[in-house]
Amino acid sequence: MWNYIVRRLLYNIPVYLGIILLLMALLRVGAADPAYTFLGKNAEPGDLERIRQQLGLDKPFLVQYFHFLWDVLTLNFEQESWGRPGRTVGEMLSTAYIPTLMITVPGLMITATISICVALISAFNRGRFADRILMVAAVVGMSVSFLVYIIVGQYYGAFQLKEWVGTEVFAIEGFDMEKNGFISGWLTYCALPVIISVIVAMGYDTRFYRAVMVEESTKDYMVTAKAKGAGRRKVMFVHMLKNAMIPIITRIMTTLPFLIVGSVLLEYYFNIPGMGNRLLGAIADKDFPVIQTFTAIFAVVFILSNILTDVLYALVDPRVRLQ
Amino acid sequence: MKPKFLRSRGAKKFFRSRIATFSLVVIGIYAMIGSAVLFFDVISVDDTLQRVGPDSTPMFGEQSLEKRLRDVDFQLARLDTALNKKPEDVEPAIAELALAERTISTKPREELSAEIERAWVSYDTLAEQKDEVEFEAFDAKKAELKESGVEDREEIQRIAGNAADASVAELVASEEFVSSLAQLEQIVDDLYAPLTGWSAKLYDLRRSMGTDRQGRSIAIRAIFSIKIALQIGVVTALLSVIFGSLLGAAGAFYGGWIDHLVVWLYSTFSSIPSLIFLIVISYRFIGTEFESSLFPVYVAFCLTFWIGPCRIVRGEVLKIKELEYVQAATAVGFGKFYILLKHVVPNTMHLMFINFSLLFIGAIKSEVILSFLGLGVKNQPSWGIMIRDSAPEVVNGFFPQLGAATVFMFILVISFNILSDALQDAFDPKHVS
Repeated sequence: MWNYIVRRLLYNIPVYLGIILLLMALLRVGAADPAYTFLGKNAEPGDLERIRQQLGLDKPFLVQYFHFLWDVLTLNFEQESWGRPGRTVGEMLSTAYIPTLMITVPGLMITATISICVALISAFNRGRFADRILMVAAVVGMSVSFLVYIIVGQYYGAFQLKEWVGTEVFAIEGFDMEKNGFISGWLTYCALPVIISVIVAMGYDTRFYRAVMVEESTKDYMVTAKAKGAGRRKVMFVHMLKNAMIPIITRIMTTLPFLIVGSVLLEYYFNIPGMGNRLLGAIADKDFPVIQTFTAIFAVVFILSNILTDVLYALVDPRVRLQ
Repeated sequence: MKPKFLRSRGAKKFFRSRIATFSLVVIGIYAMIGSAVLFFDVISVDDTLQRVGPDSTPMFGEQSLEKRLRDVDFQLARLDTALNKKPEDVEPAIAELALAERTISTKPREELSAEIERAWVSYDTLAEQKDEVEFEAFDAKKAELKESGVEDREEIQRIAGNAADASVAELVASEEFVSSLAQLEQIVDDLYAPLTGWSAKLYDLRRSMGTDRQGRSIAIRAIFSIKIALQIGVVTALLSVIFGSLLGAAGAFYGGWIDHLVVWLYSTFSSIPSLIFLIVISYRFIGTEFESSLFPVYVAFCLTFWIGPCRIVRGEVLKIKELEYVQAATAVGFGKFYILLKHVVPNTMHLMFINFSLLFIGAIKSEVILSFLGLGVKNQPSWGIMIRDSAPEVVNGFFPQLGAATVFMFILVISFNILSDALQDAFDPKHVS
């Protein structure tokens, strides 16, 4: 197994170099000069030259590339942010992940729990009325734009609910944990985005989990289990669920790295100072160090979790061989 | 004679599903409308920007009488301004006031002025009546509250405001008020030339879903957006499926360094979160000559979407290349490239169709998100632009624009969802439903 892990890690080194190369090339090669973003269109040539030198943009692309790689390799996140002078990249990113995780982690847990339950109900009643209704609801839910959920959710959840109840239950926007305690702060500022993200993800996840369960239930061992006299419920919830959990956990594992990205749209619309919002701002401000550093960190997490998923897969399922 | 693919078992299975056939018909209707807009210019961009009536008129249901009063004010004011311009400017100014098909009446200008004067008088009495009742009720309630010892100013404002609203509601519901408002609206209506035949129907269509905050037709904008959605969907889904599948097939079939290169490419591209990738690419095009076209959207979507089909087709080709018919073709002496194109790629066709359908949905939905962030479609309406514009309207409880964009998009996306399910059912032997 260790042999396999080391080989996978070595194999991913060129991929990692490629990720950084791709992103840096996308940001720099042939794109508009960020120096103009900081100084305006009518800047003096001398000023432009000075700021390019200061940001290191005057050096050849490959030099900049290896310079950044060295920073990543030595875990040096002390570069100054271009968009907000005086703050380092490390500072900017380390404050942003808390609000993001406060939304994505509960969101993932609630979505997984509810959609596995719904998928079980659906698979248990496969082909019957309840199953059809649930699946139609899932497809309908999938066909509406994320933005519509956000806009309508904010209108009814924040504006109208306040009218009906009389007090503010969910905040319209913002994120202010210091004012109230942790629990009430979370309920005010994060609960509504979490609810919306759960509703959006439900359709996709339920359908996927149901498909996995239905596929499992056509396998031969199910027939055997029924033949030896196990009850319908026991076959579904014990034999089938155990085997269906493998792809389900794999799917959840692959979404784990994306927890730190957060939902750009939710954070943007509800004005939450999380990772997605900060990244969006960094891209708009042409704050290259922040974008690059974030992607570099994300890629490490992504690659490691992929390897971990495969290893776990082999540990759980003895039929899978690591090679 | 039917074409070969229509006689296949999968196709028969597909068309046996009634709902799949129906969704195909719906997509066909959308495609027809879209190509009518694209090729015959049935609706131009100018049409979507034109004012067709007062702002924020709803799709159905009664408008509040106060809103109707405001609309009358709006109509009279713009005519008045036009008529009071310098004599030589009056004619062009009046021509500019036309609401799409609806032009200003060709009556002599003096007659028009007199009618507007008459309408103003009637409007003023109604407005005054309303204000009077409102202030009276407000003041009365305020005094009453003060006497009974309520101190909180906000509380007083709120209760008195409610009382004023109630008395206004009572007044505007009175028959006298309603009938005089109706008369007033009739006068305003007569200021326009009467519409007949086709132009009347066309104007009704324009107004059928109400107007947005700038008085533009929601229906026209939503229909025009079909073209944008189909354009983006077809171009990006087609290009990414073709490019991705060929890359995946070539990688798996040739193996060796080509396969390593393909795997390296898609691992690299998929390790950057796709929304971040989309936004970075779109930002690159800001300030370039392509900014106002759809080109940035195409590039961004194609660069992110090719990964899915590439991965799936590569997996399938890895299996196919071990099959007997490929060995047989090799034994007969066909070249590798010929076998790839003639025998391997056609057998991954069903995967391409399914992926096309899935990517189409992805493209439409991503367009909405990019447009919302101000990076997608520019200078023309799209469902994303409409949803973005509707966000401040919804806060005021005005839903038609959001509703129209959502419904138009929903029907297309759900049709494609059903279509991809049916395609999977019919062509993917491993798929169970």
